[in-house]
This record gives sequence, structure tokens and C-alpha cells, in this order.
Amino acid sequence: MKARLVLFGGVAVALLPIAYLLSLALRPAGEVLNSSLLPDTVTVDNFVKVFDTVDLSTMLTNSWISAVGAAVLAVVIATPAAYFTARHVRGDRLLTILLASYCAPPIVAIIPLFFLLRYAGLTNSVAGLILVNGLAGVPVAAWLLDGFVRRIPVEIDEAAVIDGLSVAATLRKVVLPLLWPGIVAALLVTFFLSYNDFLFAVYLAVTKESQTLTVGLSLFQGDRNVQFGQQAAAGLLGVAPVYVLALAAQRYLVGGLSTGATK
Amino acid sequence: MAFAPALAACGSDAATTALSTTAPTSGRFDGVTLKLLVNQPHVTSFRDVLAPRWTQATGGTLEVTAAPYDQLTSKQILDVQSGTGEFDVFDYFYFGLGDLVDAGALTDLTGWIDANGDKIGTSGYLKSIYDPYTLLDGKRYGLPYDGDVHILFYNAELFDRYRVTPPTTWDEYDDVAAKITTDAKGAAYGAIVSGQQVPMILGCSYINRLTGYGGNLVDANGKPELTSDASVAALTHLVEVNPVALPTPLQIGFDQANTAFLTGQGAMLDTWTDMALRAEDPTASKIAGKWGALSLPVGGANKTPRTALDAGFGLGISTATKNQEAASAFIAWATAAPQNLVTSSTAGAGIDPIRGEVLDSDGYAKVVTKAIGPIRQGLDGDPLVWPKKAGAPQLLQGLVDQIALAVNGTQTVQQSLENSQNQWDKALT
Amino acid sequence: MSQRVPRWLAAPAIAGVALLLVYPTIYLVALALTKSSLAKPLNRFTGLDNLAGAFASPAFTPSLWKSTVFAVVVAVTTTLLGLGIALLLRHRGGGFGVVGALFLLPLVTAPVLVGVAWKLLLAPVGGGLAGVFGALGLAGVNPLGHGVGALVVLMVIHVWQWTPFATLIAFAALGVVRPELLESARIDGASPWRIFTTVTWPAIAPSIWAVAVLELVIGYKVFDVLVVITAGGPGFSTSLSPFVIYQTGLRGSFDMGTAAAQTLVFGLVVGAVATVVTALRSRAVRADA
Repeated sequence: MKARLVLFGGVAVALLPIAYLLSLALRPAGEVLNSSLLPDTVTVDNFVKVFDTVDLSTMLTNSWISAVGAAVLAVVIATPAAYFTARHVRGDRLLTILLASYCAPPIVAIIPLFFLLRYAGLTNSVAGLILVNGLAGVPVAAWLLDGFVRRIPVEIDEAAVIDGLSVAATLRKVVLPLLWPGIVAALLVTFFLSYNDFLFAVYLAVTKESQTLTVGLSLFQGDRNVQFGQQAAAGLLGVAPVYVLALAAQRYLVGGLSTGATK
Repeated sequence: MAFAPALAACGSDAATTALSTTAPTSGRFDGVTLKLLVNQPHVTSFRDVLAPRWTQATGGTLEVTAAPYDQLTSKQILDVQSGTGEFDVFDYFYFGLGDLVDAGALTDLTGWIDANGDKIGTSGYLKSIYDPYTLLDGKRYGLPYDGDVHILFYNAELFDRYRVTPPTTWDEYDDVAAKITTDAKGAAYGAIVSGQQVPMILGCSYINRLTGYGGNLVDANGKPELTSDASVAALTHLVEVNPVALPTPLQIGFDQANTAFLTGQGAMLDTWTDMALRAEDPTASKIAGKWGALSLPVGGANKTPRTALDAGFGLGISTATKNQEAASAFIAWATAAPQNLVTSSTAGAGIDPIRGEVLDSDGYAKVVTKAIGPIRQGLDGDPLVWPKKAGAPQLLQGLVDQIALAVNGTQTVQQSLENSQNQWDKALT
Repeated sequence: MSQRVPRWLAAPAIAGVALLLVYPTIYLVALALTKSSLAKPLNRFTGLDNLAGAFASPAFTPSLWKSTVFAVVVAVTTTLLGLGIALLLRHRGGGFGVVGALFLLPLVTAPVLVGVAWKLLLAPVGGGLAGVFGALGLAGVNPLGHGVGALVVLMVIHVWQWTPFATLIAFAALGVVRPELLESARIDGASPWRIFTTVTWPAIAPSIWAVAVLELVIGYKVFDVLVVITAGGPGFSTSLSPFVIYQTGLRGSFDMGTAAAQTLVFGLVVGAVATVVTALRSRAVRADA
């Protein structure tokens, strides 16, 4: 079908650079600039050696824990907030404030954030990253969830009120199940954003124990003879599990009103 | 609340604490862990070469954290300034010295060095780098660790094939580059010019030409000399070689430049001396045994080959350290002759000699093979020193931005250098 | 109904904003009004000097323009492309699936690696596409080597990386459209376009507008990929505002005072443009509610 053909073409375009990364990871150091998309010799050396060059397992663990924690934190805060912004008469104001907090690049904010974390004893720690990335993800999650809440007809809420449910119960029993695709999408997005965060990780988690994958990849850039093969291998080892996560989560993206409460 | 540390920093000036003259230069430190913040390319030297030896000599351990070179100084400043004080010893960039001292991040070692000169062996440090790497406003803040200079590498096979001889002047360099690029018709390029718009890359390319002409960035009184004849000639060469260099210089950083040279796609490259080790390594290089090295070309009235201290690192003690005695013993030990010899002779450790006896040793010569001549010539001479006062990196970035505009053709050489001269004048007066 | 929505729902978000927005903004203003370096912030009150200095830097003011053009173009492109792909995914039936997850890969890959991959792909000598370029008679051409070209290539890379974001949200939003309404419209003989405008679009509009606003802000804040691929060059052609701020504050002379002033100005610009888009969104959303 035409749709499938176009999709196929789109996937090919989306994947070309990624496939090239794989091709880089599978070739020895001398062949990086061989003018071709494909390696001349195939080797899996890079995938092994990279664990010696940088502390990859620690970094991957840190990246995962901080990203999962940040995603959960962001969505937990943003979901009630989104219900507020979508339903309350003056809800839009909160949306605007949230967006404002998201607008400026956090480069200079590194200093006050550093002080904040130091006050809380969370510098150079994964917990600190969870806090910062989680809070930074609230605006994104809230904006996304707001859109989903708005599409749930108000009548459903009102029906719950008539049934005598409290606000908290309404949220939990009635709204949440219908909101599920939105929540999954918001979780995934905030996960991706935290996982690939660079600025916070570089300056707020400097020690070897707390470094994340993005910092590790930048270490390769710092070398005079950049080991592209190993860098690509490290990056792909970072991407693969996230792809699996996305695969596992994607079935929850379907659904909505058709699977929920009816009149 | 969280403003307290900020307020404490308010208005305070750089009161660097001075190291006591009785601080040790050696000793046992069983059970003490020293935390080092080092430049990424140095990780092997600290983690694999020095750490086991340190443990054997003193019982102490080293914990090494790396940062890419462009984040190194800012991370060191932030560590001290924020009050975190995670690290004991800093492997610092010498042109960040002014900023680091201004931030109160490095301990003043002057008294200690004077009192312990013999034990540390200060007379053995190379004259060309000792003061540049450690001295600021009459005080010393570190001991030299890695002496980085540039030399010119060339592909002997390409030179033979296109019948050219190794250049000794920048004019000859331009001619060789043009001839090879024209004759090779895309199979190879005569010159690899690294022009990515940061001081460590484009800055070096310009400065390598400047030093060949005998020029300097600032004169003996600290006044900028960016519109001198040498400077104009240097930038003109950079602009004119652009069309025959590996496409496209302004996009080329170390990664591409080094790989292109090691795969035989470019015939000449001016870069750090550790390229010699990679060029001879068959797992990384396709030109093992087919390359040569020279001192940087000269130009104009200057006939004496001269290099530039295009990078360079010293070891300093963080003012926030809680292990000051172990730290002082460590930096004296790490920069002593035996340690410098072993790190500079270990392939992959990327460390250059900082002592005359190591530079002249056979062990080092064996590792760098053909490059030993120009390296000795460079480090024994009078290399160009980059400015290192507080704010220097900013000036260098401004200069590099103007150079890029000239290379890009957006602005004339004259205009670019004048703009930079004005910027530097304003800042340095 | 809305009176029943209690304010405590918003409390955690507001607390988070207070921590992440109010406190750093106050600090930022303080930095902007004083002589502040990374090493010694809040050294001395200097009034509006930093603001003047911010505008005096040759890279900053043009960067505001470039960032705006960049952000608007990529926001429109990613949103429309993402919506298109999501519609195709829905149309072919089945869930998001393996194909959908494959589409997510550009978003999931670390920006540093995205930069490295594209830089090496486009390298004129030895790059992945060098062979292809050669066959097309374009040997030695470097799209990143010239001012405007470099910015366009960056836009392409950004769109490549961030369209999946729009695709994901659009797909989830399309799940909200009631199948019964689609069916009845089809039975009524409405064309696909009419079905889209009358049934689908009203249902997904709030989410799509949210995506557009977020893509705009993300486009404004582009940074990681820039540093790796062009470092702001050639010249200043790809020096977008976050990069200029980074150069001022964390490189160079670590001049946090000027960087703070630049951040405030930039934040205002982004806020102004974002307000225009959110106003458009509010109108569209209210019309359908």
C-alpha cells in the first residue's frame, strides 16, 4: 500500500545516520574515513574495548536511573497540574508560567543550581540529576498532558461527581485510565530528554561515580585521536536498551475513549 | 540559605592560601586516596602508568576523573568556587592559569618550591616551559607535567610520488601543498589545515605560522602585537593555503585531521608530537614507516626554527583539598625524572618531556623515532608562549573568530587583525 | 465544574517552578546586574553595564535573529512532518509497532553522537556520503563549509532529530479520535480531507499545538549538536544564542555577568515569540471546546 511505501522510505531516511553509526562501530580505527557507508573489515573489537576506555557500565546505569527517576518525578508532578490547567478557569496561566520556566537555556542557571544541590547535599549524585531533570521536565510533561486531558469530555468528570466521588478518586479511577496514552507518551518523552541531557550532567555530576553516558561520549571528543568506532559503540549500547523500552511501551500508546467509560 | 556561599564569594578577592615550606616532597601515604581532575588525553598516564607506581612507592591510591580539554578549566573553577572541593590535584591547562588563580583555585607553591628546590629538582625542568607553565605575577602555582609543542609531520611516500622535498619555509610549504593537490587530482591533498573555530584548533594553525615568522601574540610588556608584519604574513598564509588544503579547513578538527593524515589522504600536518607514536602504530596508521617530521617552517627574516607551546599542562594543588601533604608529595613525585621518563616513553600515554634529561634520553627517542630531532630543537629553543592572564581564553576566542572570518573570505586579513588588536588593546590596558 | 477543581493539584508543580524558575531567575538578575565571573559571582554592582556588554558582542544580536528563524522553521517542519507520519502510521493499521519505535531512534540517540554521525557522513574527504557525492559530481563539496549552507544543514539535522517527538505525541493524540465519528463521517460520503478537518483535527488540536509550542522552544534552545558539528562557525553563521551564551559564560573569560544578561534578553525574545504561538493555540482550542 502507498502508506507503507512512504513509511518505509521515511524509516530509511530516519535510520541512515544510525546505520552509519553502526557501520562505524563495526570497523577498525583506521577505516573511519574510508569514504564509504560500509566498513571494509568488520570487527566487534570496539564494543569490547570501549568498556576499558571509559567506565561504560557505570555511566549507563547512572543514565538509566536518573532518566527513569526524572521521568517519573516529572509526570507525577505534571499530571495533577495538567488536570488543573485543562479544567480550571484560570488554568492557562499556570501553563504560561511553566512554559516561561522552560524558555531560557539553563547555561547560566548552572551556578544557582549548583548551590541548590550543594545545600541539599546532592552534588555529583544521581539523585541530584533526578531532581534537576525531573523538575526541568515538568513543563514539557504538563503541556503534553494538558492536551490529552482537554479531550476527555467534561461530562465524564461530572458523572463521577454525581456518583459521589471525590476529586482524588475521580482522578484515579476515571480520568487516569483514559489519560493513559498521554501519560505513556509523556513518560517516554521526559525519559528521552533526561537520558540525553548534557549540560546538567556535565557540570552537576562530575565525579566518575556519577557520570552519565552523555558525559562519557563527550570524553571521547576530548581525545586528540578520537576513537570514533568506540564512541559509536558506546552510543549504540546506550541507544539499544532505550529502543527496547520504546518497543515495550508503544502498545500503551493506543487506546483512549474507545476503551474507557461510556455514557 | 543557598545564597550564603554566594554572599561569601561576594567581593572577596583571590586570597590563595600558600603551601607551607615544610610540606613534604615524599613520604608514605598508606590508605590515603588522592582525587585528580585531569585532561582526558592524560588518563592513561595517570591511571595506568602512575597510579600503580604511586601505590608501590607510598601505599596511597589515585582516583582519576577525566574531563575533555574544553571543559577542564571551567570544571576546576566550579569545583572550588561552589565549595564542593571534590578534588585534591588539578592537571591544569597553562593558559587557564590566570583564570584559575583569579578564582582562588590553585595553592601558591612559591615558598615551598624555593625551600625544596633540590628535592624537587627544579633546575632539571626545561627552561622553555618551566616559567610559562607555572609562573604568574612572580608566584608559582604548579609543577610542569606535560610539555606540548607542535611539529610538522609529512607523508614521505606522497612526497616521493609527487617529487617534492620537505619544506623549510612557509612559502615552500604552500608550494608543496599546491603541487601535490593539483597533481594528485583528488586522490590526496598536499596539506591538512585544521580550522575548527576554537583556540586549540584554528588558533594553533595561525600561531604555528606566526611563530615561524618570529612573531609573538604579545610583546615583552604584555602589549598585543597582532598587526605586526609577522602576524599579517601568518594569517595571509593561512588564507592562501585554504583552496589547496583538505576540504574544508574551517570544519576540520583533530578527529578528521589526524585520521586523514594516518590514512595517507593528506601529505602534511602540523600537530602535537604524539602523532609520531600513532603514525608508527600499525593498528592505527596506514603510513607506518612512511612518514617524517620537521620543525615548523620559518618565514620572513626569521631563519631559526621555532615552535609554540600550543598546549601544556601543570599539576597544581586545589585550595579546597583536605589532603594537602599527600598532594604536595604527589606533584613533586609525578614530575620527577623517573616518572616523566616512564610516562613519556609509554606509547599511548601522550606525555611529553618536561625535563632536559628526559628529552635527551634514549628511552624517549626510541618511542618517538623520527620526530626526536624537531622535538629537541623545539623544546630546547624559545617557543612562543600563549598569554595566560585572567581572561586570556576569551581574547584567544575573539582572535580565532576574526581569523575564521578572514579564512572564510568574509573579511580581509588586515581588517581581521585590526579588530583583534583593538579588542586585545582594550582588554589588556 | 471548574470551581470544583482544587488548587492543591497545582501545588507540586508550582513548588517545582519556584525552585527551578524563581530562585535561578532572581539569581540570574543578580548576576546580570553585577560584575560576575564563574569564579567570583556577585562581585560588585555594575548596573546595566552587562546588558550593554551583551549587545556589544558582535555575535549576540545577530544570533537572536538566527535563533528565531531557526526555531520557527524547525517548529513548523517537525510538527507537520510528525503529524503526517503519525497519520500514515494510523492509516496502515496496527499499533505504533516496531516501525514507530524505529522512527524514534533519532530522538533517542545522544546529541553528541548525532553530531558525530552527521559530521562524518558529510565530511568531504573520507565521509560516508563522499562516494555518493562524488558520483553526483559534487566531490569535495562540504555543505557545512559555507555560512547559509551550514545553517540549513543544521536545520535538517534538527528536524531529523526532533520530528519523532511530534510523531509520538501526534500518534497518541490520534488515539483519542472516536472511531464512531470517523465511521459515520465516512458513511456520509465525506472526503478524507473533510473528515480530517471536521472530525480528526478538533480532537487532536490541543496536543498538536502543544507540540508546536514545545518544538519552538526546543528549537530555540538547540545547543549540543551545534557544539559538536560547527562550533558556531564558519564565522558566526551558526552561532545561535545558546551557543553565544555558552561561549561567554563557560568558555572565554567565564563572564557570567554578561552571560546572565544575554540569557535574560534571550529568554524574553523566546517568551515573546512563544506567547504569539500560545495565543494562536488558545484561540484554536477555545473555538473547539
